[in-house]
Amino acid sequence: MKAKKLMELVSQFLDADSKTQQEEIKSIRKVLKELKGKELKLRAKLAEKTHSDPEDAEAIKLKLDVIYAQRRKGVMKVFTLKRKSVTNKNTDKVDD
Amino acid sequence: MLRRFTLPLVMLLLAYVLWVGSEFMELALGVAFFIFGMICLEDGFKTFAGGALEALLQRSTDRLWKSLTLGITSTTLMQSSTLVSLITISFVSSEMISLAAGIGIILGANIGTSTGAWLIAGLGLKVDIASYAMPILVFGVLLLMQKSKRVKGLGNLILGVGFLFFGIHFMKEGFTVFQLGFDLSAYSMTGIYGVLVFTLIGTLITFIMQSSHATLLIVIAALAAGQVSYENALALSIGASLGSAISAVIAGFAANLGGKRLAAAQVVFSLVTSLLAILLINPLIQLVDWMSGYLSIGSEDYLLKLALFQTLFRVLGALVFMPFISQVEALLIKVLRFVPKSIEQPIYIYPEVLETPSTVVVAVRKEVQHLFDNAFGLLARGLSLKRSTLESEESLSTAVKTTKRIFPLDVEDAYEEKIKSLHSEIVAFISEAQMRESTREATEELYVLRQASRDIVSAVKGMKHLHNNLSRYGLSANLAVRDRYDQIRLDLARLLRELQVLLAEEPSSTTALSLDSLRLAVQKASRTMTDELDEMIRYRRLTASIATSIMNDENYVTGIANNLISAVNALLTREVDETAEAFNLDEADIQQLMNKEVDSPLESLKS
Repeated sequence: MKAKKLMELVSQFLDADSKTQQEEIKSIRKVLKELKGKELKLRAKLAEKTHSDPEDAEAIKLKLDVIYAQRRKGVMKVFTLKRKSVTNKNTDKVDD
Repeated sequence: MLRRFTLPLVMLLLAYVLWVGSEFMELALGVAFFIFGMICLEDGFKTFAGGALEALLQRSTDRLWKSLTLGITSTTLMQSSTLVSLITISFVSSEMISLAAGIGIILGANIGTSTGAWLIAGLGLKVDIASYAMPILVFGVLLLMQKSKRVKGLGNLILGVGFLFFGIHFMKEGFTVFQLGFDLSAYSMTGIYGVLVFTLIGTLITFIMQSSHATLLIVIAALAAGQVSYENALALSIGASLGSAISAVIAGFAANLGGKRLAAAQVVFSLVTSLLAILLINPLIQLVDWMSGYLSIGSEDYLLKLALFQTLFRVLGALVFMPFISQVEALLIKVLRFVPKSIEQPIYIYPEVLETPSTVVVAVRKEVQHLFDNAFGLLARGLSLKRSTLESEESLSTAVKTTKRIFPLDVEDAYEEKIKSLHSEIVAFISEAQMRESTREATEELYVLRQASRDIVSAVKGMKHLHNNLSRYGLSANLAVRDRYDQIRLDLARLLRELQVLLAEEPSSTTALSLDSLRLAVQKASRTMTDELDEMIRYRRLTASIATSIMNDENYVTGIANNLISAVNALLTREVDETAEAFNLDEADIQQLMNKEVDSPLESLKS
């Protein structure tokens, strides 16, 4: 193993912050997936209710709006964390 | 079933009697005027209630003699022991005066009732009071037509006096006419059987007319016309006292705990007084004869002697009863209480659970959920919807639209039984747990759960206010009003259903996130309702006063909804979930969604 690669692995191991960030991204992705699942279920329900019960359909649309907004927040958080992670790596490289 | 047919039957019978025997006409008119006069007086005094009357009641009941005097004077002035009893019941119920003070007032009111007999016997049948009644009525109607509530109240009082006078006059005339056709005195009975039979008749008349005052008037008028013997008239007047006890029992059924206790005291007192009067009727008659000599009442003046008898046996009853008031109070408090079985007992919190911080948190969480479940049932009933409807998948809008009646519900009693007791247990348990060794996380969670319990209590209290207006306007004939209340009920019912589904779900990271959509729905519903009401006021489809009532109720609903959402949020959030926090919508996000400024759908996410 080249010395440079070895140094990188050691750095990752020692960099707890980066590890936490990865874990956070992972758990956010999990929630995003759950929300996506919920969204799909609601979409199916919406298709059923659009004609039979317009008021219920309205309520479902509102829930969908909220899920969109929540997912957007989640995605933004993932972007922020990733950007932070990349910035950290670049800083490390420059330091090298 | 029987109740439904009672009124038509009584009316048919009365119509037949009036048709067959025109002699009864004036007599019946007299009774009708007298009772109407009492209703006017009650209405008139109610206008002034909330001010001087209440202040007087509160100030004048710290001693027994004061309560007694107050009962006597207020009943003498108002000529209605019913009104005095009702106000006293409301004061005892709200714990503004003690039960003992309430009993004192009731005793006084009972003595005060006999002043009516003095008025009728001493003045009513000797002076031509109908000539006074006419101008009184004219002024009464004039005042009644004014806009000011107080002037209207005064008008009612004056009208009441006028109709009382007219009632007395027609009764007197009625018995004079009656005398020409019938002679009831032929049915007079002597001895103990006479006393018992006529006491029973007096009780029945009072029960039917719901007024011992009106019975006394009939008895005095009949006595004046020679239709009943003096002894039988005395027994009838004892019956009037006993009859008012039956009225008290009926009132007690509908009243809350304070009212029930006071009604029970009234029943005991009336029974004791009547029993004493029956047992001691002969000594009392002798006492009346003896005292009549001192009071310059002629030996043949049976009307005033009857009034004196009334006062004497009622005072005697009060004198016998008074030394035992505190014992009666203690007994009633002991015997009449919220049935322990119906008081909600905690299921999950008990001393053994206090051993470890984690079991404490789990138990308290479950108990708060139990509290929420109770509140759910109570709120569903408050919305006049069956719990089973909310728990099923039935269409809520259909259930709301097809509502035929608003469920009667004493929210205060239900709150005491199902909510307050449990909340108190939870708070006490948490305090006990906090005195023991605990972790920071457990302490934090207990704090949140206590707040959740408080939120549930606040939600139920909100229903207390909402239910009042729902009972009045919920099924209004005005469609615009009914629609608004239907919407209010539907919004809250939907929320309750959603919250229960969320609590029943297997908890996941997104369960608590669902509450954001409920928060948004609440805010949207509130804004829509306000906009609709504004428009309705603008186009005069609703009066501003009704619109503001609906706005207030909408406010209660928003409060109830927010409290419930907060409580469920606390129940769903097991620990501080930082991941979920990344998704939670804050106030600004919700406002954005309200204004539809959020880009929908998120195309970027689909990719």
